[in-house]
Amino acid sequence: MQRRSALQRLIRGAALLAAASLPYGVARLLAPEARAQNHNREHNREHKRNHIRPPGALKDDAAFVAACIGCGLCGEVCPPRCIRFHDRDGGGKVNTPFINPEDKGCTLCNKCMAVCPTEALIETPLDEIDMGIAQIDRAACYPWVDRGICGACVSVCPLGERAIGFEMWNQYRPIIKDGCVGCGLCVEVCPEPSLPIWIVDRAEGTVARHTV
Amino acid sequence: MSLTMGTPKPFALWRHLNKLRWLSLSIVFAMLVALPFIHVYQTYTAAHAYDLLAPAEKQLYDVMETLTAAFTDDPAEDLDAIKGNTWSGSFFGLQLSDPLAVAGQMAAGLKLYAPFLLTALIPVLFTLVLGRFFCGWICPATFLYELNTNVSTWLARLGFKVGNRRFDLRLKYAVLGVGLLLSAATGSVLMAAIYPPAIVGRELYYAIALGGFGAGAAFFVGTLLFDTLVARRGFCRYLCPGGALYSLLGRYRLLRIRRIVENCNDCAKCNAVCEFGLDPLRDHFGQECNNCTACIAVCPTQAMTFVLRPTDFPKQGPGHLGKQYRRAHPDQGAH
Ligand code: SF4
Ligand code: SF4
Ligand code: SF4
Ligand code: SF4
Repeated sequence: MQRRSALQRLIRGAALLAAASLPYGVARLLAPEARAQNHNREHNREHKRNHIRPPGALKDDAAFVAACIGCGLCGEVCPPRCIRFHDRDGGGKVNTPFINPEDKGCTLCNKCMAVCPTEALIETPLDEIDMGIAQIDRAACYPWVDRGICGACVSVCPLGERAIGFEMWNQYRPIIKDGCVGCGLCVEVCPEPSLPIWIVDRAEGTVARHTV
Repeated sequence: MSLTMGTPKPFALWRHLNKLRWLSLSIVFAMLVALPFIHVYQTYTAAHAYDLLAPAEKQLYDVMETLTAAFTDDPAEDLDAIKGNTWSGSFFGLQLSDPLAVAGQMAAGLKLYAPFLLTALIPVLFTLVLGRFFCGWICPATFLYELNTNVSTWLARLGFKVGNRRFDLRLKYAVLGVGLLLSAATGSVLMAAIYPPAIVGRELYYAIALGGFGAGAAFFVGTLLFDTLVARRGFCRYLCPGGALYSLLGRYRLLRIRRIVENCNDCAKCNAVCEFGLDPLRDHFGQECNNCTACIAVCPTQAMTFVLRPTDFPKQGPGHLGKQYRRAHPDQGAH
């Protein structure tokens, strides 16, 4: 008898708790994401912004996939080992190379272009490389939200002033310039976890439009 | 041993070519294993950060340094002399590619890119003369497949049922054709996904330098199982698109094997040893023979030799024991 009532009390308590927490759960489900979506790593991942082709790659991705034989030579000569291979699960673009700048950026050493046996990667002068262009989310970058002095991206950029610099009126807020070739070293080095800097297609990103 | 005077004898060293072939296969395979390590070592040296390496990485660094220091001043540059795999690679400045890679890329892109076409020139010329030699002498998958054949043989001795089904050898030409059509339709070099040598080179690189096998490894294990359980060396014999291309190119190869009927005693060891399921005993080598010389090495009476001719030697009938038997029993007809 004693035991039974204890059990009953437990069940009733649990039911009450569940009923009380239900609105909270529903509210959680319906509530908008606390942060703006577009400086979210997951979002970047979904939009394949962490999959850029190696430098000198044919711009038309279908042409690139047709030209690439998946030999892996580009990966095999890449000193920072930034080149990875697509769809190791055997998907459609089997074994074609990509760079995930979040993981490792390209140092623009040109070795992959020189070694590629097909026309998938064509040797391109440094200034004409077009892997994309970096974008900065001013709502997340440390100096832009006044959370400190950073500038890691500016100091690592192999192209220097041509590609990235500080804003005229605020010495520590980075801005992207036209000369950026999208190597992604800034993405690799950026310490802010939400990844406020990432690479987009040149057509998609404009130098003027780095705010979100 | 009753080699009658005057019967042609094969050049004595042909029997030892099979060992040389194993050496060649082993070297190619060892290179494919070594190259990713060399690459990893190069990235460590390029980073100039020995102190930051993990203990295991330091160990690798030290080992590679000891191994290569004698040949290189600058690992970043010098160790680039050999790169890639048998699918495509660069060898002291010479770019070489598998003809199947070129064919597949031509189909996928529906256009010709001359510099890449030329990388297949040397392999194609060699194939025109030597036939499917790549399959026997270079292919890193052959290295594993032949070891697998040995394992199957042991398994069979232990009483397991290993597969020895036979299919139509022409099946692989269909695979090649369909593969090229699909490559053209999808615009990507699909055959790289099912072509064992490309898979082996790539997966070794993935596993060593990038940490972990890809899906190709699973496919390759599937072919090993197919070879063991269904048909000996089945993938190469019946399905490999590269083997098909090499066979076609080597159809009128100049260097081929011929049986010296006067020496042959019909023991059929050559047929038993032939990985490609051909019929050397009845003078049938066809376009599939890869000049692996296993039949030469195994022949107890030195009845196999090389000849220079663009087609198989015409059928010669049974060997001397068979002929003697028929002479003794003319009433029993052939066989
Ligand atoms: S340019 Fe150099 S660092 Fe960049 S992807 Fe190519 S090989 Fe790697
Ligand atoms: S080197 Fe060229 S063909 Fe080979 S995997 Fe890289 S992009 Fe593709
Ligand atoms: S590295 Fe990242 S956080 Fe730092 S300034 Fe650049 S974008 Fe902002
Ligand atoms: S016929 Fe002889 S040389 Fe040709 S594949 Fe068979 S065993 Fe090798």
